[in-house]
Amino acid sequence: MKQIPFNNRHSRVLAYALLFALAWAWASWWMGDLFRIAYENSFLAADSTIMHFLWQKPFGSLWIAGRALLLLYRWPLLGGFVVALLLVAATWLIGYCLRLRPRWRWLSLLPVSAWMVWTAWPGLNLYFESEPGRTLGILFLGVDVCAVDAFIIWTFKSKSSHYQHHDLASATVGTWVAAAVTLVVCFAVPVAITHFRHPYARPLTRMQVQMLDDDWNGMIQTAHDNASLSYRPLAAYYAIALVHTGRLADDMFDIRLDFDSLYIKNYSGEPDIGSNYYIIDCDYAAGLFRAAEHKAIERLTMDGPSLATLKHLTRLALLDHNWALARKYLSIIGRAPFEGTFVERYSAMLDNPERVAADPEFALLRQTEPVTDSFESFYEAPVFLGYNCVLLAGRTATALQHSLMSNLYSKRMPAFLERCQPLVGTTPQKSIAEGLVTQASKNPAIMQAFPQLKMTAQMYSGFLGNVSAELKDRPRYARQLFDSYKGYYPYYYFFGNLKATRKSSTQEHASSNVGVN
Amino acid sequence: MRIIKSVIPFACMLLLAACSSRPTAVPTAFAELSDSATIFPDYSDVTIPPNIAPLNIRVSDEGATEFVVEIGDVVAGATADGKTDIDSTAWRQLLEQNRGKDIAVHVYAHRPAGWVRFSPYTLHVAEEPIDGFLAYRLIEPGYELYRQLGLYQRNLTNFDEAVIYENNRTFTDKDNHCINCHNFQNYSTDHMLFHVRASHGGTVIVNGSEAHKIAIKHDSIIAAGVYPSWHPTLPLVAFSTNKTGQVFHMYHEEKIEVLDVKSDLLLYDVERNSVSHIIRSGNYLETFPCWAPDGKRLYFCRALLPFDENVENLEGVTAMHYDSLFYDIYSMSFDPDTRTFGELRLEVDASSQGHSTSVPRISPDGRYLLYTQGDYGQFHIWHNSADLWVKALSPLPEESTAKAVSSAEPAPALEGEGGGEALYPLTEANSAKAESYHSWSSNGRWIAFASRRIDAAYSRVFIAYFDKHGHAHKAFLLPQRDPDYNTVLLKSYNVPELTKDAVQISTGKLNHIVYDTEAELASYEE
Repeated sequence: MKQIPFNNRHSRVLAYALLFALAWAWASWWMGDLFRIAYENSFLAADSTIMHFLWQKPFGSLWIAGRALLLLYRWPLLGGFVVALLLVAATWLIGYCLRLRPRWRWLSLLPVSAWMVWTAWPGLNLYFESEPGRTLGILFLGVDVCAVDAFIIWTFKSKSSHYQHHDLASATVGTWVAAAVTLVVCFAVPVAITHFRHPYARPLTRMQVQMLDDDWNGMIQTAHDNASLSYRPLAAYYAIALVHTGRLADDMFDIRLDFDSLYIKNYSGEPDIGSNYYIIDCDYAAGLFRAAEHKAIERLTMDGPSLATLKHLTRLALLDHNWALARKYLSIIGRAPFEGTFVERYSAMLDNPERVAADPEFALLRQTEPVTDSFESFYEAPVFLGYNCVLLAGRTATALQHSLMSNLYSKRMPAFLERCQPLVGTTPQKSIAEGLVTQASKNPAIMQAFPQLKMTAQMYSGFLGNVSAELKDRPRYARQLFDSYKGYYPYYYFFGNLKATRKSSTQEHASSNVGVN
Repeated sequence: MRIIKSVIPFACMLLLAACSSRPTAVPTAFAELSDSATIFPDYSDVTIPPNIAPLNIRVSDEGATEFVVEIGDVVAGATADGKTDIDSTAWRQLLEQNRGKDIAVHVYAHRPAGWVRFSPYTLHVAEEPIDGFLAYRLIEPGYELYRQLGLYQRNLTNFDEAVIYENNRTFTDKDNHCINCHNFQNYSTDHMLFHVRASHGGTVIVNGSEAHKIAIKHDSIIAAGVYPSWHPTLPLVAFSTNKTGQVFHMYHEEKIEVLDVKSDLLLYDVERNSVSHIIRSGNYLETFPCWAPDGKRLYFCRALLPFDENVENLEGVTAMHYDSLFYDIYSMSFDPDTRTFGELRLEVDASSQGHSTSVPRISPDGRYLLYTQGDYGQFHIWHNSADLWVKALSPLPEESTAKAVSSAEPAPALEGEGGGEALYPLTEANSAKAESYHSWSSNGRWIAFASRRIDAAYSRVFIAYFDKHGHAHKAFLLPQRDPDYNTVLLKSYNVPELTKDAVQISTGKLNHIVYDTEAELASYEE
């Protein structure tokens, strides 16, 4: 076999540099948003009272170490950099400790690859309803164990058992090929797991990161870029972005709303539809602040404090003008490093109702705050839809729009039509107009009330003519027709969200208690 | 740059904590201010027990770099964070020397221009001590779910907090359980109980350092025992049994309503492991039983359902009438020999005034009925309208407390809405937020209660002196070593119960009882 000089220092450096570059790309670019959101779902402060909930858990100190590493993901490039360093260090240390001959050195990549696979496998459960510091804590432990092991070996080594760099000269083409293949597989497998098993994970966390930056248009763009993916959390964050940009009635049906299964598990390890993932954000965006607080406190109860929960609770306390409570949460958030910007922004609102009222986000969300009291349990779940579907009185026209869109989405057409009464004499927004014409054949009064929708009605007739064959087997053609009709409500009306209308189509939906939502 | 900017304050905090030292002497030169210092907790002009732990405070004064708090002849310094850590030995001596007297507290702040001294406040040291221990549950302030929660016992003379029992620390369906409603017999830990719900369910009955688990279950009983009250001398426990639900407001000042749709009262015989009904009513809801100190009368709350109990969707209808549920306080005489109850007697008629009561508690001398009154309902810890109220009880000839009452000072003048009875709010101890779940000290001079007055969300324990004239003094927050403890604690204090001694049974033994033993089913007696 031809030998390739591998004992060359540059070659070794090059090999580790390549490994580092790939690891950095994986840990920051590919997984960066996931870890960034894991950071938001984590909390770490140098305060024994706050951290007691974690410290007293089995392996609590390890999870704290993991959360400490996760802090670096406040900036994913930095977090990824450190994780990549740890992965390279682990590879080198494993090779050193196992005294692997050069031809088998590629084996030292396997534990690292196994960790990456283990990290990618749970998808959103990397942090959702599970310990966010777990994966990085295990990595930290692994590197520590290897380092200690290596130190012991290095301390007590005999000259003859010295780590055999010089033997690297015996590396063959086969060795290089094995190393290269291992390297590719090492990264390809976790990348593939994220891409194929959890295709929603990266776009979803991208949207969440964009939401942290108030980049609503960015969120919409991300959703449009992934419009063929159809998962509840994606749709939820897309709707939130549309609420913030006032485009709900125009763009809501631009993405697929059929809701494929998520690979997500609850606290018990059972499959879950993952509504808890987005429900606080949705309740908050719907102006249902009490409901959002209810869910945020439940999250606090189940997970312990996290930045995401504490930030929600802070905003909700400010909206409630409960300054003492907001001050408490800000005080806790302020104990975490890197959260100065948030604390500064919202501390300025303490004891200052005018500033709260002037905040654009708060002002927007207040438009859809309820005007009368009732109880959550009086509405179908999730309440941000259930409440809006039966809304009778709203604070602003935006509240009416949300109610109309909730009914369109839920295909509750009688309720939709009832609520269209105030729109008579106006030009309804796109989806509302399209919703109206779908009912015109059943209710001729609609066209009398909205004569300006003649063109919309003609388009609808054309649509019905085009899809007359496909209407006979809607589930079969739904996906196929999406690209042609995305954003068009009649398409959604006939072909969208079909799974939820089927009788117990899957165990998941049978237990979801959500109906068409 | 942003990274560096974010890290610097954190690093500075660590450095400051490591390097700074507290001042130890009272400044000799200072400017006198007429303002009061901003302190947390607010311990100004409170009456405190002579055996209470040091009242550490956090002083806030923008720009100040050091603080000195002079409490009598005890000096406590603080760095820029303003937090004191009073020497326990010196504090104990100070309180002992000043029993029944006042102590002036001077607060000094070191501002850039020099030291200033704020207007002083006073600590009134009572003659009477408080019971040494306070048991409570710590749980997040919501709602339907629970995770890590436990029963704890705080030594009130210092800062030691011991675990009585904690539930499963990590979530598993198999072991997940809630614990609640701890209760002691006559301020002693010789006999206590608490409930375990969900997995490993039952009621744990503790007898000194031993325990066992029982289950109260029968076709004629609504649910397991809920709110308990140990008979002061006999091995009997009065329980309410409640079918309870929670509903969540969508747009209301209050957040939650906890509603009973059915409830009755039970008598549980600990020795015979048997249970019987005290009251089994249809359209009435009875709850929160409480024995008189002589054990010859049982007090409880009672409300009339404002609709028929057989209505369809009872939970929903009850929720719709949540603000039309008004509880009054009733009592019934009890014959310990025959173990029979007498006629109902209305003690507090709150419903006629459009109010509602909960948690009746009788003072150890039998002279006062302390209860919570709010606008409606019974789970007043979620009602801002909830305040502590007192009824001065008339001595009854058949009660053994008659002697004690006859020698006592006269009851307060008539106030409030009692309609001729001596009912009055404990104004000095109350706040604009919810007060509830109070307990007396064994000498009747102190009350400990839960209040949401700090932030309207997290209930904290407050202690108030209850004087011989039946009036409370300004309440003070349960002291902590770190005055910011209550700021960062994300759990609420539930059911503060004072006891004379520490719980005797070990946590390990309670773990064994909960996890490894089956609950013995109590027999039902007609």
